[in-house]
Order: sequence, then C-alpha cells, then structure tokens
Amino acid sequence: MKTPKFYGHTPLNLGDKPLPGRLIVIEGTDGVGRSTQIGLLKEWLETEGFAVSDTGFRRSDLTGSGIDRAKRGHILDHLTLNLFYATDFWDRMERSIMPALEAGMVILGDRYIFSIMARSRVRGVPAQWLDDVLEFAMIPDQVYFLDVDVEHLLPRVMANRELDHWESGEDFLREPDRYASFVRYQGALIKEFRSLADQYGFKTIDARRSVLEVFQDLQKGVRSVLEEMRS
Amino acid sequence: MTENHLSTNFQMGQRYGSHPQDGKYPGRLIIVEGIDGSGKSTQIDLLGKWLKRLGYVTVFTEWNSSPIVKRTTKRGKQEKKLTPMSFSLIHAADFANRVYTQVIPALKSGTIVLADRYVYTALARDTARGVNREWLRRVYSFAIKPSLAFYFKVPLDESIRRIVTGRDQLGYYESGSDLGLTSSREESFRMFQGRLLEEYDRLTEEYGLIAIDATDTIAVQQQKVREYVEPLLPGIMQFDNHTVPDALSSTGLSGRYLPPAGYRRLTDPILTEG
Repeated sequence: MKTPKFYGHTPLNLGDKPLPGRLIVIEGTDGVGRSTQIGLLKEWLETEGFAVSDTGFRRSDLTGSGIDRAKRGHILDHLTLNLFYATDFWDRMERSIMPALEAGMVILGDRYIFSIMARSRVRGVPAQWLDDVLEFAMIPDQVYFLDVDVEHLLPRVMANRELDHWESGEDFLREPDRYASFVRYQGALIKEFRSLADQYGFKTIDARRSVLEVFQDLQKGVRSVLEEMRS
Repeated sequence: MTENHLSTNFQMGQRYGSHPQDGKYPGRLIIVEGIDGSGKSTQIDLLGKWLKRLGYVTVFTEWNSSPIVKRTTKRGKQEKKLTPMSFSLIHAADFANRVYTQVIPALKSGTIVLADRYVYTALARDTARGVNREWLRRVYSFAIKPSLAFYFKVPLDESIRRIVTGRDQLGYYESGSDLGLTSSREESFRMFQGRLLEEYDRLTEEYGLIAIDATDTIAVQQQKVREYVEPLLPGIMQFDNHTVPDALSSTGLSGRYLPPAGYRRLTDPILTEG
C-alpha cells in the first residue's frame, strides 16, 4: 500500500498512513490557466470513473479569516505572513487532503507550497528558511508547471479582467503604474517558478499554447500517473 | 557574566544573512522560561519594576499575544482544531510577529526587552507533542538570541501541585490531551508535564539557560536574577521619569489635564515606560 513521502522530515507518525489516492498539483503564475485546466481535468477524470476533489487547497477554516484580515490591513511582516500560510497549508493537508487520499480520491491541487515560495522569494524572504519551514509538505505524485512568459500572459489576463493589486506586486514594488508593476512582478515570479521547477523536479508544460494543446499534454501525463490505480 | 554564560553553539539569529544577528543591537533582551506556576511571571515583573525605578526604559512582551495572530490561535484551541503541527506553526507566526513589531524595534532603540516565555517554550512544548526537533530549530532560526535567559525550575510533583491548585479544570491543550496519551485528563497532564520538564532540562544544557531553583523564596530568586542582570546595565538607555513632577512643582500647576498614569496613546505596542 502506498504511504506518503515528504520533502523533509516525516511529520509526526504520518509516514505509516496508507494513502491509496493520488495527489496531482498544477503550479504556475496568476492567470496562466490553472483553474481552466483543473476544471477540464476534473470532468474528464470523473467520466473515466475516478472520484475527484479539487477543493482541498482553498483557504482553511482555521486560518483563512485571519489571513484575509491581515492582508486587508497590510499589517503583516513577511515572516509572520509565511508562517500563517504554512499553518493554513498544513491544516488543509492534514484535515482535508490526507483524509481524501485515504479514501482513495484523486486530488487536483490548484497551487501548492511552491506558490508560497515563489511569492516570498521575490519579496526577499530567505529561500532556505522558507524551504525548511515547508519541508513538511507531502511530495505530490506529480507537479505540473504551466510555464508562460509575461508577453503571452498579459493578453490572457487583460482579456478576462483588470490587473489586480496583489498580482502586480504593488504591496512592495514602487513602479509608476500598474502595468509596469505587473510586468516586473510577474517576470520575477515566473523566474522563481522556473528555478523551483529545477530544484523540485516539476514537469514543465509550455502554457503559451492553446488551452486544448495544454490539456492534451496534461491528459497524457495524468493518465500515466493514475494508471496503476486501476490495476 | 554576559554573553559568556550562553552556549556558543546557539544558532538562532545567526543562520541567515538577512536575519539580524544578536550583538548588533544596543538594547538587551532578558527572557524567563518555566512551566505555568513556576513563578517566572512574578520574577520578571519584579525585575521590570526594579529596572524602571533605576530609570531604564523597559518593553514587555509575552507569549501568544500578537494582536493579529492570537485570535486564530484562540479559536483553533476552542474548537480543538489544532493538531501538534498547526499548534506549532501558529505559535511560530505569533512569535515572528512580536519579534518583528516589538522585540527588534525595542532592541534597536536601545531599551531593555523583557519577555515572559520565549522560543524555548515552543521548542519544549512542540517537542513534547512529537514535532521534529531539528525542524523546530530551523523554523525558529530567525529568533534573536537573548542577552540573558532564565529557567525557573520546579520538580515534577511540585509543578503539578502548583498548576492544579486553584483550578477547576485543566485545559485540553495544556494537559496534552490532544495527543491522546490516555483518556484521563489528569493522567495525560502528568505525562505531558514530565516530557515538558525533560525538554526544558535538555534546552538548559543546549542553550545555556540560567537555571534558578523555583522552590526558593521569591526574594532569594529575585536577588539571584538581579545579580545576573546588573552587569548588563551600563550603557543602556535611561529615561528621566521625574520631568513631569519637576515641571509641576516649579510652575505651581496641578496637572489636572494631563493624561492619567499608565495612559497609552497607541494600543498596539506594549510599551511600559516609567
């Protein structure tokens, strides 16, 4: 029976817990199309006969409101905010993801610890410290990284909505306008994601292409990850 | 009797370049550790009063008190949602927030920071809950190394007697009931308390905490504490707290429109000036 592996030490006694499900994570920057792809994957996998959950990594009821409150007021320093995120992440992992994996579900994770890392690294939080803190995370069965450059990202974001304050890094950058801020921030984020992809061994998918082409790549990958669940 | 009393292998605050190191700050950080009922809060209170009377500016910070984080911790405890790992992480968040907003600014300003419980509380409690020892040290590597760290040591039976006396019921987390060691809260408390004291002994050695026998009288303990603190004082910022009475007596004014003693315009920092 499959048991969980972790990036660092095995927290508490969780390494012996049999978890027959699969955890598949989609990482990538804001507006790259993660939720579109997860929506397509979910529908497809259900028709294939898998029980799928895509809700696991939304804000936990333990810390969610605290984080929102703190972000609204811009009052948290980076260390505290990251420890808050880490609490939130662990809480969801232990109380929502692991039970679902125990029940044999396929979890589609929209973002994982790497989004926290990328956002913090560009804001100057020591990378090694945060890697150490977040080493308690389970190693997913596969991490897909939707890679895009800012030139291809911009039209996609602009077509759907206006540029967002947080997604432009305006909490710490001082650029003349939001466009300049977005370009600089997203450029830096994507660079960090790429270096995380090397460090943690993501499967990189070229997300400059059409939704269909990206989805077909994901289908192929996910099919092989889930293959042994049926045997 | 200053830094030399501390173990030199202390890694905290020295690990990462962008985390500030101890020794750069003009202030002093004095912390007390010990289980509930050890008398540490009384001792640091008496120390603070003495320092204030000598004219030093002191800043006080206590465990689990960050205005932003503590609501989450409280709710998590009430609803019993915290597991050993989330318990550990949320306390780290609280600690980080206080280091950033209270401790570092005060040390940079050259004041004396008095902390009721410090990083050792987390290391002892979380390890007793089964959290990985080395990971905890990495998580807390941003902590500032104290100038003096006192551990008020109480034997197991005495510690249990002190905590149980005058209480209706032991808390769920304080008794370690979340660990499911045994179904009886009293028995669980005893086991958890035993682990906690063992961890504190280990920390005393690892980080060179100054162990004070907490079964001595309060006055004797305070005497010892002051002997350790005194050599740290030369060069520390002092504040003349007699300026207001002086102004009143030499002008003949009553001061009836002055803010009351203990008045604080800011509610956030716990600033206790003379």
